[in-house]
Amino acid sequence: MALVEVNNLSKIYGDVQAVDGVSFEIQQGEIFGLLGPNGAGKTTTINVLCTYTEPTAGEVTIAGHSVTAEPEAVKRAIGVVPQDIALYPDLNGVENLRFFGRMYDVPKARLEQCIGELLELVGLAEHARKRVEHYSGGMKRRLNLAVGLLSEPRFLMLDEPTVGVDPQSRNAIFENIQALSRQGLTILYTTHYMEEAELLCDRVAIMDEGQIIALDTPQNLINTLGMGIIHIGVKDDLHEEMLARLRALPQVKAVTCRDDTLAFETKDAQRALLEIIGLFNKTDTVMTSLEILEPNLESVFIQLTGKQLRDS
Amino acid sequence: MKKLLYIAWNELLLLRKDKMAVVWMIILPLGMTTIMGLVFGGFGGGSEAVVIDLPVVDHDGGEMAAVVLDILSQTENLHVEMEYDEETARQLLADGKRAGVVLIPSGFSAAITSGQPTVLELIVTPGGQTAPLLEGMVRGVTSGFSNVQTSVEVAISEVQRATGSTNLDYEGIARRVAATALERLEDPPVRARITTVGGEEEEEFNIFDQAVPGYAVMFAMFTVLSAAGGILEEKERGTFKRLLIAPIPEWSLLGGKLLAQFLMGVGQIALMFLAGALIFRVQLGNSLLGLLLITLATCWATTSLGILLVALIRSRKQIHPITTLIILGSSAIGGSWFPLFMMPKAVQQVGRVTLVAWAMEGYNRLMILGGGLADVWVNIGVLILYGAVCFAVGLKLFRFKEA
Repeated sequence: MALVEVNNLSKIYGDVQAVDGVSFEIQQGEIFGLLGPNGAGKTTTINVLCTYTEPTAGEVTIAGHSVTAEPEAVKRAIGVVPQDIALYPDLNGVENLRFFGRMYDVPKARLEQCIGELLELVGLAEHARKRVEHYSGGMKRRLNLAVGLLSEPRFLMLDEPTVGVDPQSRNAIFENIQALSRQGLTILYTTHYMEEAELLCDRVAIMDEGQIIALDTPQNLINTLGMGIIHIGVKDDLHEEMLARLRALPQVKAVTCRDDTLAFETKDAQRALLEIIGLFNKTDTVMTSLEILEPNLESVFIQLTGKQLRDS
Repeated sequence: MKKLLYIAWNELLLLRKDKMAVVWMIILPLGMTTIMGLVFGGFGGGSEAVVIDLPVVDHDGGEMAAVVLDILSQTENLHVEMEYDEETARQLLADGKRAGVVLIPSGFSAAITSGQPTVLELIVTPGGQTAPLLEGMVRGVTSGFSNVQTSVEVAISEVQRATGSTNLDYEGIARRVAATALERLEDPPVRARITTVGGEEEEEFNIFDQAVPGYAVMFAMFTVLSAAGGILEEKERGTFKRLLIAPIPEWSLLGGKLLAQFLMGVGQIALMFLAGALIFRVQLGNSLLGLLLITLATCWATTSLGILLVALIRSRKQIHPITTLIILGSSAIGGSWFPLFMMPKAVQQVGRVTLVAWAMEGYNRLMILGGGLADVWVNIGVLILYGAVCFAVGLKLFRFKEA
């Protein structure tokens, strides 16, 4: 059963189409990844889901409540871990949690218990009375996560929760998310680190320029690449006959041409490379660049958009 | 409502945690008030702290010269120095070490008793701040002696007319009349009594009656507008957004922050008045209710000005210099630093556009002029209206959510 349903969601800011007809569902207990480069529309999508931004078009329901018609009910069902460290640096960990807990109407007795549990969960129990301004970046991120969990939400949204975090804290956050998922929490996780999505998510939607360009399990998406992708830059445009000969190579599954770069989807990247170089030598075709992409989500994104994920 | 109070409480908790807040709300205002009070007045008793050293050179040495010295010596805020000769006294004046020198010419006493014209010379440096004060004091003395001479002339004339005799002991009569007149000069039978509108005798002016409310209002504005700028900081930090996506009504979120700002302003002014009463012996006037209402109205207007500024200004970096300019500008022309009635008419008129002017006029009426609640109703009303307009416009323009 879908806890979250997003149908044809669009958001326009002035002349900018931030989100363009996005649709997806998130099942109860699922970790759903929303992947894409900065500016892809991930945060805008989350802003609509958490009732902060009104959609220009489309329907979004969470736990059966429309984000536009019943925002208060949606607010009580969700927890949000924003990209910013949205904490009071002058307050300590407990004071931050206590304040936000009160804002979510957590009963006083339950709140104190909840604060203790959450501090344990994110590994900050020993630093509970320390001012947040003295926390490391990773500790702040972990407390940021704890605040998002205070209301004991049914659906948790994490917007780039590991930006600027040291590897140790990143692993701690991953462990927290996996533990929460095991407890049945439904999670939306946005990131531009594809390896995080591969590790954590049951399904991922890849966004670019406001649209979802692929949606499946990480493995299925990676499988679309075959056994590896080779990008070869060429000096001159290749005529159609040459492209046909390349496509006919035994280890090549498909060839696409984008600007001066050929993208080869292969059955075996190394063997395919030997075949391609052999053909280039025979036809005096000059190579200007060569890149072999590992079969992973990052390569899927590059294959789909022709852009590097973190530079785009 | 409960969340509004939680938000306000959190703001006050944040203030308590801010180490610089102690400096801004207590140390700096009290320090500034003390310095300005000492520069322009005195400490705990008003003008008694200002004592002017005045060299007096007596070339006469007579009875009347002694009376002059006696009167000047008894004059409040004046310390008569007899130890200098004329050359040294003039040199002290030229060096700027003294504000004035009084010369009593030889023959002064004889001239007084014989009804001849004479002078009491005061030499001052041009532009000296205390010159008008000294001039007033010396004119007072000469005026008294002129009256003595007049009394002597009238007495002799009346004795001649009554007795028809011209063979009189003129000098003896003159001496007796002059002695009586001089006694009266030192202990006048007719005194001025200045009363205020409230009917009570005017008490000695304490400069802190002006400085304490002046700096209280100025620093309350700093405190409140700085806290208002905190909303922009929260927007930049993301906590404001986090609160907006929590189940909190928008009015509760903004209301909590404004309530805290208002309370900070009231606390700031109350703290200054408490310190003013305990340390600077400030007179709180006859209407504590009036003071309370003026304070509440001032803080309401300041809080509303804060929300208007936050609505108009996009970032915390921008709001700091703008609020500083507004606060210092309105304090200067609104009467925080000097009483409004001492300022040129044009400045007084311009100052009326600031909430400081209405607040300070109210405080001055209550604390210096001894007025009551009825005397400050207009000020309270204008401040409430000022706040209402700023609040309405500020709320209309305020953006809860950024694009």
